[in-house]
Amino acid sequence: MQSALLPTLLLPTLAAPFVYLICKRSSKVAALVIVLTCAADIALLSTTAPYILNGASHRYVESYSWIPVLHSSFMLFVDGISFSMATITLVLISTAALFSINYMQERKGLAEYYTLLTLLSVGLVGVFITSNLMLFYFCWELMLVPSYFIIGGWGYKEPYRAAFKFFIFTHAGAVFVLLGIGAIFMVTGDLDIFQARAALMTANPEIVKWILLSLTAGFAVKMAAVPVHMWLPDAHSEAPAPMSALLSGVIISAGAYAILRVSLGTVFPAVMSTSFGGQFLHGLAVLGIVSAFFGSLIALVEPDIKRIIAYSSIAHMGYVLFGLSLFPFQEATTGTVLHLINHAVSKGLLFLSAGAVMRQLEIRDVREMGGLAGQMPTTATTSTIAALSIAGIPPFACFISEFLIFVGAFQTIGNDGFYLIPTALMLIAAVLSLAYALRFVGQVFLGPAKHEKVSDVPPFMRLAMVVLAALVVVLGIWPTFFIQLIMSASSFLAV
Amino acid sequence: MIEILDVSSPIIVFVSSSLLTIPMIKKLREREGGKNALKVSWFLAIFIAAAIGLANLSLRYYAQTPLHPFLEVTLTAEPLSIFSSTLLVDAVSIFMATIFTVVGAIVFMYSVFYVDYDEELSERYYSIMLMVIGCAIGTAFAGDFLTLFIFWEAIAAGSSFLMLYWRTPKSIHATLKYLVMIIMASAFIVYGLSIVYALTGTLNFWMVRHALMALKDKRLLEIAFIFIAAGYSIEAAVVPFHMWLPDAYTAAPASSSAFFSAIVDQGSYYVLLRVLIYILTPSTVLPWTHTFAALSALTMVVGNLLALTERSVKRLIANVCIADVGYNLVAVTSVTPLGIMGNLYFFLVGGITTALSFMAVGIFNRMGYETLDDFSGIGRKMPLTSLALLLAAFSFAGVPPLAGFIAKYLVFTSAIEAGLSWLAVVGVLTSVVQAAYLLRLINYMYAKRPREEKGIEEPRELLALIFVLVAAVIVLGIYPTIALNLINPVIQQLPFVP
Repeated sequence: MQSALLPTLLLPTLAAPFVYLICKRSSKVAALVIVLTCAADIALLSTTAPYILNGASHRYVESYSWIPVLHSSFMLFVDGISFSMATITLVLISTAALFSINYMQERKGLAEYYTLLTLLSVGLVGVFITSNLMLFYFCWELMLVPSYFIIGGWGYKEPYRAAFKFFIFTHAGAVFVLLGIGAIFMVTGDLDIFQARAALMTANPEIVKWILLSLTAGFAVKMAAVPVHMWLPDAHSEAPAPMSALLSGVIISAGAYAILRVSLGTVFPAVMSTSFGGQFLHGLAVLGIVSAFFGSLIALVEPDIKRIIAYSSIAHMGYVLFGLSLFPFQEATTGTVLHLINHAVSKGLLFLSAGAVMRQLEIRDVREMGGLAGQMPTTATTSTIAALSIAGIPPFACFISEFLIFVGAFQTIGNDGFYLIPTALMLIAAVLSLAYALRFVGQVFLGPAKHEKVSDVPPFMRLAMVVLAALVVVLGIWPTFFIQLIMSASSFLAV
Repeated sequence: MIEILDVSSPIIVFVSSSLLTIPMIKKLREREGGKNALKVSWFLAIFIAAAIGLANLSLRYYAQTPLHPFLEVTLTAEPLSIFSSTLLVDAVSIFMATIFTVVGAIVFMYSVFYVDYDEELSERYYSIMLMVIGCAIGTAFAGDFLTLFIFWEAIAAGSSFLMLYWRTPKSIHATLKYLVMIIMASAFIVYGLSIVYALTGTLNFWMVRHALMALKDKRLLEIAFIFIAAGYSIEAAVVPFHMWLPDAYTAAPASSSAFFSAIVDQGSYYVLLRVLIYILTPSTVLPWTHTFAALSALTMVVGNLLALTERSVKRLIANVCIADVGYNLVAVTSVTPLGIMGNLYFFLVGGITTALSFMAVGIFNRMGYETLDDFSGIGRKMPLTSLALLLAAFSFAGVPPLAGFIAKYLVFTSAIEAGLSWLAVVGVLTSVVQAAYLLRLINYMYAKRPREEKGIEEPRELLALIFVLVAAVIVLGIYPTIALNLINPVIQQLPFVP
């Protein structure tokens, strides 16, 4: 297979106008076309798997001529990490599309909605499979614009307000990323992350330091790390449920991925041996702890069903930041990427389930809910699976990855005593996440029934939730496939 | 060998056809049917003739062996005197002339379909527009300060007529304001140039440059620079000399706002670029970098803040034009090859995008929608025009994959390269402000409920022209190599500046 990745991006781009036209006739078929496109994309990606697992560099690369004047070529690549992230993204997009069939059916303008969803998949997948920073930035913003319109056009309350906040915050972050990218180009004359990494090693560490800070600050906004998290609760809770699932599942993970790939993977090695390198990682750990505690504590007291989950996302990005701060320990980094995947699936499922509950009850205050387990058995089961996974209970997905992060943390303590207290704090935060997960399940699904004549959701919504729930369990019991893939990218992680 | 006729043929085409247009259109008006088709084909013929002239010139220019990058063409073989006018052909001037002709053609056609307001005057309107395009091309090919000055003043005179077109109190006020500023600017420039002439004994670009490089005592030059810089800054609407621009652009008919932003604006940036970088090159001639860095930061901040408070959409876009001056200046200040590349790319993209948004706003204005409140829910009533304005707004904000992003990327990167990182930071932060007010416009268009739900029929011919520019914005964003290949010769020539 000579070219697998370009079609991966072209397919959804070209599908977008067709989705629009088909949706004018039948929105159900349009959603199924999206599912098919995602499936075809996954198939295309899978053809690269042998190269990743068996190739010498554990990497599959494609290059096309693009802007030679700026030394930019259209570089696409996958390694284990990119492959896993891209696959999970496509899975989530297809379940979001499936879920939308019933969830969105009474809404207006579905043709635009599904078209935007298709375009979103281009940006999202593109972020994970390019190694050219210019193209990366293209995709980075391409995932912002459709999200803005989806939140604004089909959200709740004052959706364009939330969408505006989302756009301005993340765009402000993005321009700092742009500054960083421009500076990398200036210093190295190259925009390919692998070339730039080598070239940065010989650059002036004082400049590299600023590049690193600027890039990381920009990515942290997307990741919604405290104190730049303010956009997240509004955007995630006002968006329609399928979009919330994507926002919480993939878009903020893209921020974490970018920190790993660009900040840590490309720029950081140049300053790793300096004292600033250590301070930078410690800073990430502190940010992680603050985010984890902040998110968990608010999730414990928040009454709005979707805001609980939104704050829990902030908490989980805290774990991820903490995991990233253990760079370059292999267990920790593997655990972090695995956690991104597991969190994406679990949180996507949780948001879809919350959407299902909201749709059937038409309220969003958890204090007014209760006893839904009998009335909505499927939703209750999937929600419980998702909540337990979020809480880090075995055998569900997030347990393994959190466990790996902690293994990495204990290893790191041996080298760097600083991590002793942060690790202890992170363990406490993990207990907090159990608390809010149990509160969520307890208040919504257990206890006496407070509403009568509530039925479970229509079949496509159930299908979407069951698929994700099955994935959460499978990833929890048999994570080997992804662990293997992520480990194979160690040639990139090893410094 | 390039003769004077090769260089001046596009200018001659525009200026002579501008004179012929008045009787032509008058005759046409007396005819019964098929008026529009004839009118359009007459104008198309003019632009095609000019384009052929330009193509001939650039073919001959690039076919020279060996290539003389900076070719001076004079009327006589020997310069008659030091005052004799010179035309200059290099990659920059060819690029600018191409922009003026191509973008000018689209904007011009838009006004042909748009101006049905005051038929009586329309022939003079077209004629003046053609003259301004001709003079803009003349500016691009000017090889000495005097020629540059004459062509530029002709543009200003023509522009003021276009502003006056409606003869309402508002437009008379705006025109007066513009004229006062421009006359002051001319006075400054003439005074500055007289000092330069006294110092160097010539007005030819390269001779001035050489004489100034050899100059020991630069105090007098600094005074001259202050006047020249102020003069050209007024013409380019650099803050604090920007106040004429929003009035002037909004008082004019929508079709000429698009025309100003595409031709006159880009022309004034070109003049800044030519004078500041090619002639008063920093470090060898005069270190002006910090002055203009400060002006550039000020322009970005003020332009964007003014736009933030603006309620009228047309004025909002006019303020974006001011902010664009600031972004262009960032690249000028950097004095790097990358910066010049960014500048030239910005001229093209900025011209296209501002013209595009003025054209879209023009359609809205014709339907009676002026302020942000009027624009409520317009996205549903006029989906195509709104889509065009939306894409223009995202391009302004520098969101990829639209062309505005590449322009901003080049500009900011050049600032970092020149060691002016603080300017790049100011640039990206004001760019976020820009995104904020443009998103507010989009919010009005798509989020708010319209006052009445009824759909409105959109004018098809105007939309077709608008979507040509939309396509350009998208294509130049995804595959900028097309334009960058045209700009690349400029960068290759830089080390040979005589």
